[in-house]
Amino acid sequence: MSKYLFKIILSIIILLPFAVLAVLSLGRNWAFPAVLPAVFTFDNWRVLLLAQSDLSQSLALSLFISIVIATAVTIASFFTSKFISFSPWRRRWLLIAYFPYMFAPVILAACLQYYFLRLGWAGSAGGVMLAQLFIAYPFGVIIFTGFWNERLHNMEQLVATLGGNAWQTYTRVLLPVAKGALLICFFQTFLISWFEYGLTRLIGVGKIQTLTLKVFQYVNEANVFYAALASILLAVPPIVLLWLNKRYVFVNFN
Amino acid sequence: MHVIAKYSYLTLFILLAGVPLLAGLGYALLYSLGLTGVLNEGFTIVHWYKSLINRSLWQSLGFSFYIAFITMSIAIGLALWAVVRQGEAFRSGYLSFLIYLPLTLPATVIGFYSFQLLAKSGLLSRLGFQAGLLNDLADFPVLVNDSWGVGIIFTHICMATPFLIILFTNLYHNENLKSFAALAQTLGARAPQVIWRVIIPVLLQKSFATLVLYFVFVMSSYEIPLLLGSQSRQMISVFTIEKLQRFNLQDIPQAYAISVLYGMLLIILVIKLLGRNK
Repeated sequence: MSKYLFKIILSIIILLPFAVLAVLSLGRNWAFPAVLPAVFTFDNWRVLLLAQSDLSQSLALSLFISIVIATAVTIASFFTSKFISFSPWRRRWLLIAYFPYMFAPVILAACLQYYFLRLGWAGSAGGVMLAQLFIAYPFGVIIFTGFWNERLHNMEQLVATLGGNAWQTYTRVLLPVAKGALLICFFQTFLISWFEYGLTRLIGVGKIQTLTLKVFQYVNEANVFYAALASILLAVPPIVLLWLNKRYVFVNFN
Repeated sequence: MHVIAKYSYLTLFILLAGVPLLAGLGYALLYSLGLTGVLNEGFTIVHWYKSLINRSLWQSLGFSFYIAFITMSIAIGLALWAVVRQGEAFRSGYLSFLIYLPLTLPATVIGFYSFQLLAKSGLLSRLGFQAGLLNDLADFPVLVNDSWGVGIIFTHICMATPFLIILFTNLYHNENLKSFAALAQTLGARAPQVIWRVIIPVLLQKSFATLVLYFVFVMSSYEIPLLLGSQSRQMISVFTIEKLQRFNLQDIPQAYAISVLYGMLLIILVIKLLGRNK
């Protein structure tokens, strides 16, 4: 296959989901066997994006939860990973970090639901965020363990030898060096929280309606057009993060 | 100060990563042994016995393994083919950005897209009808909510292939495979030998840990089989959660027994496989 043809076919395959979702989000009346909806309108967008609509509230809630999770995890896992990376039991610590992934998040949530119910945290945004931390925080630690190495340890010791204190070591040396890794950790943990469905559904007991739950709700209601619209809203922040990643983080690494 | 910070963060790590898992598994184990919960009847292994002789559990585990195996085999094959044949396309130019785009779609959305594409009244069926290949809805094969998991496999391949292309592309360049290939050719290896004896073994060996974790991720997936799976054959996460949420209270201890069993199986599997690799 020629390189040109390969690129064209792969581009179509990649872009097709976005095109299908965009068309459906603008459509109404899609009866079989029509390939395209009979009516194209912005009404779906207008209705659902009104400030008081369920969807705009879900969008705001999802953004709030994901930003809080990503910020908290990035800060906590940066410091935790440092101690784990230089620990003699590094591999054992990392194995603990992998466990929440091996255990399906939804099954983990089912096993933990009892505690959340007893403590009165089920059905609250705080409870959902705490449950998401159980998944996102170990992942943040895994991301940063690749960052800490002997060179950074030596740099830290050099600053101390030259009279720098711990605050100066972090603000002048380690944090500037870690800028790329911090951004990657923030993006990745934002996406973990943003994409989460099963755990959020069980711990949120249906009261915490994030965007992923909305997509499922619309699919179950057989509302294809609203489901497509919610799907596009779900894809927008990750695409913006991807663009920022490619534009700034990879450039810094190079 | 440094020591206090160190132990504070390690304690936080244990509290957020280790304790929830132990607490969850502990509660599930106690419930399955009749030591807690609404059916608290004193120590019994009857729920474990019923779970272990339940054919549906083994079918569900087998089905999850089958889905993960087929998905990973096809996705790895496609990704290796793309990287070996057209690797440079993913290093520079617009494809180097486009290949990341599928990763911005959550499983829920890709599952929804697959349904709109593959369902009997979906886009492919409509295109087939317009092209004169189909005369009726019934002529289109069942590709979603089917007992062979075609829709589930298709969706997982859509998610896994771009991820693996990115992974293999990075490995190809980080491991300097271009030079290894040139060296092998200088020493007389033919093109297929370079691919099968040099490039593919190195890529698979270096990505082994990631592939094992992705295999487990597919086996444990929930949203995609929930949207595209059938009632007759369920993947393990859907099977367990449905058992937990049924009205029959006798199913709950069995669901917890299955959770403990599955969790322990995965943990042992991954420790064995990843340990052996290192």
